[in-house]
Amino acid sequence: MSTLSRDQIRAMMAEVLVAQGKQMPGDDQANLEEIGFRSLDFSELALRVEDEIDEELNFDAPQLRQIATVSDVLDFLEQLQAA
Amino acid sequence: MSDTNEPIGAATVVVVSGGSRGLGLAIVSDILASGASVAAFARTLTPELTALASAHPDRVHVASVDATDRHAVAAFLKAAEARLGPIDALVNNAAVGQDSLHVHTSPDDIARIIETNLTAPLLLARAVLRRILAKGNRGRIVMVTSVCAQRGYSGLVAYSATKGGLDSAMRTLAREMHGRALVNSVAPGFFASEMSSVLGQTQLDTITRRTPSGRLVEPENIVPIVHTLLFDDTNLNGQVITVDGGASI
Ligand SMILES: NC(=O)c1ccc[n+]([C@@H]2O[C@H](COP(=O)([O-])OP(=O)(O)OC[C@H]3O[C@@H](n4cnc5c(N)ncnc54)[C@H](OP(=O)(O)O)[C@@H]3O)[C@@H](O)[C@H]2O)c1
Repeated sequence: MSTLSRDQIRAMMAEVLVAQGKQMPGDDQANLEEIGFRSLDFSELALRVEDEIDEELNFDAPQLRQIATVSDVLDFLEQLQAA
Repeated sequence: MSDTNEPIGAATVVVVSGGSRGLGLAIVSDILASGASVAAFARTLTPELTALASAHPDRVHVASVDATDRHAVAAFLKAAEARLGPIDALVNNAAVGQDSLHVHTSPDDIARIIETNLTAPLLLARAVLRRILAKGNRGRIVMVTSVCAQRGYSGLVAYSATKGGLDSAMRTLAREMHGRALVNSVAPGFFASEMSSVLGQTQLDTITRRTPSGRLVEPENIVPIVHTLLFDDTNLNGQVITVDGGASI
């Protein structure tokens, strides 16, 4: 399966935020609550990544609940692609 | 027999699916304490269930059975009856949990949840009722469902669908088994078990805060309700009894 790079995922995350009139922060340690990136926004991003790689990335909610920063989002999606 | 106006008697031989741990194990212990016999199964037997079987060899039949394997279930029921006598009650308790958003749950996982939590209990109820009817007996069925069948909880879409399906089937069975079986559901709120261990402390605190009784449900709160449905003459039939500290009101 083809995989997306961290930078490509970051760019897609920015698209999700910008479409809602929000800003993608420059700092990957930025807190998701503060930038207004909610769990269904993560779902949207994950589904966009799935569309690109043509593969489903299913996961459980406890893993989703661990995500707190931009860096966590990128790590988790990289991890899901590698699984 | 079906024309009698006599109440359906107390259960004497009860099948408990998922009797190895959690609520199922507590139900098995209660049935034994009541003097009835139990046939319990799960995929993996636990030391607790095996110890009960050793302590009451004449009143307990246990085996490692997957509820989704209908041939293994049929063989289990046959062996249980040969050992304990005619089965006249069932507690449909075995189930698997879920904690994933519907859009991120794989089709295979959805199928597995439905097979374990809805198809298997329907087939088990069918098998037990066939044995009860064929012998001219009467009996009792208890479905362990969930408050999730009545209220929306994120992360539990397929699971809730199966529990709602079982509650609906329960009502229809209660009517269909006119005079031959009492069929009811017990719908617990969240309680601590292996199934709910995925919930974090924050979620448990939130559930407790939203519960009017101020405390989470425990298996000890649910067991007496199952007991009543199995043993007492209440004429309860076709009902869902919710045990959740009032969280869903
Ligand atoms: N815990 C809660 O918060 C909660 C709330 C509402 C309703 N409930 C319901 O209460 C009931 C008991 O749940 P619990 O919390 O006690 O769960 P649990 O501790 O996970 O126990 C589930 C039992 O079902 C068995 N089981 C699961 N899949 C099976 C299969 N394919 N074949 C045979 N046995 C199987 C398990 O044994 P093996 O895994 O070894 O097979 C175990 O004995 C379930 O119906 C559940 O839906 C639970």
